[in-house]
Amino acid sequence: MFFGPLAVLGLIYLFLSTTTSTNKDWKILMMDKKEVFDGKLASDPSANLKFDFINAFVDYEDFAYNEKFQDYDISVWINEKIVSNKKVIISYREQPPENIQRKIIYLVERRMEEIMVDQFTDLSVSKFREIKQSLNFSFKDVYDPKNEKSTSASWVGFSFGTLIIIFVFMFGMTILRSVSREKSNRIIEVLLSSVNARQLLTGKVLGVGFSALVQFAAWVIIIGTGLYLFRLTLFPDMFSAGFVADEVAKTDFSYELANQSPFVELIYNQIQYMNMLIFFALFFIGGYLFYGSFFAMIGASMGSESDGQQFIIPLTLLLFSAILSGYYVVYYPSTTLSTWLGFIPFTSPMVMMVDLSNGFADGSAWKLILSIIILFASAFLMMIIAGRIYKNGILRFNHRLKLRMLIKWTKK
Amino acid sequence: MISVEHISKYFNRETILHDISFSLEKGEILGLLGPNGAGKTTLMRIINQIISADKGYVSYGGNLIKEKHLLNIGYLPEERGLYQSMSVEKQILFLGKLRGLSKTEAKNQMEYWLKRFGIQAWRKKRIEELSKGMAQKVQFICTVLHEPDVLILDEPFSGFDPINIELIRKELLNFKKKGKSIIISTHNMNNVEEICDRAILINEGEMILEGTVPELRQQFKEGLYKISFTGNMISFANSLWAGYEIVDKEVHSEETFTVYLKMRQGNKINDLLNAVIDQVSITGIEEVLPSMENVFVKSINAQNEILSE
Repeated sequence: MFFGPLAVLGLIYLFLSTTTSTNKDWKILMMDKKEVFDGKLASDPSANLKFDFINAFVDYEDFAYNEKFQDYDISVWINEKIVSNKKVIISYREQPPENIQRKIIYLVERRMEEIMVDQFTDLSVSKFREIKQSLNFSFKDVYDPKNEKSTSASWVGFSFGTLIIIFVFMFGMTILRSVSREKSNRIIEVLLSSVNARQLLTGKVLGVGFSALVQFAAWVIIIGTGLYLFRLTLFPDMFSAGFVADEVAKTDFSYELANQSPFVELIYNQIQYMNMLIFFALFFIGGYLFYGSFFAMIGASMGSESDGQQFIIPLTLLLFSAILSGYYVVYYPSTTLSTWLGFIPFTSPMVMMVDLSNGFADGSAWKLILSIIILFASAFLMMIIAGRIYKNGILRFNHRLKLRMLIKWTKK
Repeated sequence: MISVEHISKYFNRETILHDISFSLEKGEILGLLGPNGAGKTTLMRIINQIISADKGYVSYGGNLIKEKHLLNIGYLPEERGLYQSMSVEKQILFLGKLRGLSKTEAKNQMEYWLKRFGIQAWRKKRIEELSKGMAQKVQFICTVLHEPDVLILDEPFSGFDPINIELIRKELLNFKKKGKSIIISTHNMNNVEEICDRAILINEGEMILEGTVPELRQQFKEGLYKISFTGNMISFANSLWAGYEIVDKEVHSEETFTVYLKMRQGNKINDLLNAVIDQVSITGIEEVLPSMENVFVKSINAQNEILSE
């Protein structure tokens, strides 16, 4: 139980160590023979980038071996005809990471922009940038204009829902393996002489669920404590909004967009984690009990290992269709189908997490309550049916498992 | 103690058990006999409430059997099964607690039985590391750990060597002395003769015989007698005239013999003695009752003949 999360913490430490090592100081030689840039950049560069301008050209060999330039990591050649040919050559001793490259490009482009605006237009730089800025589109529901929905928030809900489905699958397979192992090593008959089949099934489902929750809690506590200690001691800037924004800048987002950082805004300010976690727990428990019964049924009914495989596949497809439902609801949150998918117990854990992240309109929270009631009622009903199948199938061996057999066993 | 009343069980239109009734008294060992597929295991499972009967009922102590009564029953299934990766100690404690014992009680009982069977050294071993016989000893301990009033044992001697069979047999007789009631299903007829007070025989779901072991043997006797003597075999044979049929003989030495014969024409032992007493020196005479194995085979064959007609 402890080795797993500690190993993950170790990996996170290694990752962060290598990441923070990219925050070394870079000295950059700006070769601007014609003083096009006039010895300055558009905005203050980051603290770890130091720019020095010279009005000369230094060739590769000179830069590489001359003692005068050994302190510099990178050289940037601003050629005389840059305004027309738009060509900039950057040479380096050690290839800089992606974020450093982007920062240099951004700073040089911004300065170039100032020069071009000044040379070719009568506008001020700020005016030019205002004109250049792309339009800001927002979609609003005409019946509820204040409740502006964003697919970004939906994806957070989708992620929570996917976690539920993944955990349900993992723990469900644990139930199936445990039941079929007890069947194959024949201890089941000894157990059934002490407790009845329904008690055994319920105990199995709840026991696996609790042990999984304990493992999950152990992972969360150990990794959470580890990350907190990392933040206190080794990596103080880790997971601050600025750090995240900086890391986001390493991706395909433009540096400017990263500064505005809607992603950071979403993660840090928009998502109501307490609500999400409470309902995550409720839908996880309901979904686990519901699907867990299916896994227990299959484990108890299998005549042989290969026999059970044919019934695991449709169950896996059902779980996959739950994920697809979530994907559908992200893009079509207000259709009738989306509403129904929120009530069907096979798909409701996923769909409701997406709906939760979008928020419910005033007066429609009843959908959430109804969905939970239907899910838990279905789970209860499935446990009863699973109990019958468990009782009838657990002591049968080497038979060919067929669907009509399962249906027959539910009736007895 | 336990009463089985008109139990019937059907499966896929096949009759597994039909109208089985018997009772098990306190301090009694009842042999449940029958060929393979007769329905013995199904009957035991019905008594243990593992499966339910389609007709009839089981009562315990005069009341309809309920879940709470199962704590007073120890069941050893034919298909032995334990958690393979669990240690002997954990297995016994787990099953003891499942049977209603506290942790301390289970531990004390475990110590007693491990010592009694001389297997204390195995306590930390996993079940998968044990041989079949060793695992069965552990399973036997799990069955009796909670000191049940009733033991239901399906093939308890299967998989054991003669020494361990003797060990189990002694334990069963000890339980009987303590007033426990036992149902054992076995194919080993020697054990039936040695330890069972009564036996019932099931074939094709029907109960075809019930009675004490002596009663059943008497029921199937063929009027065969065994007489041992010293003297001349020819003189002995000549002294028997038409009233007797010699079936077999054993020659122990030149003048020592044992002869198996059947009485004819209503002759009795006294008549036999009178016929031979002047010819040879008799050392022993007794009626030969059929073994339980013979009883078993004859009954089954007789019933099969009836069914085939």
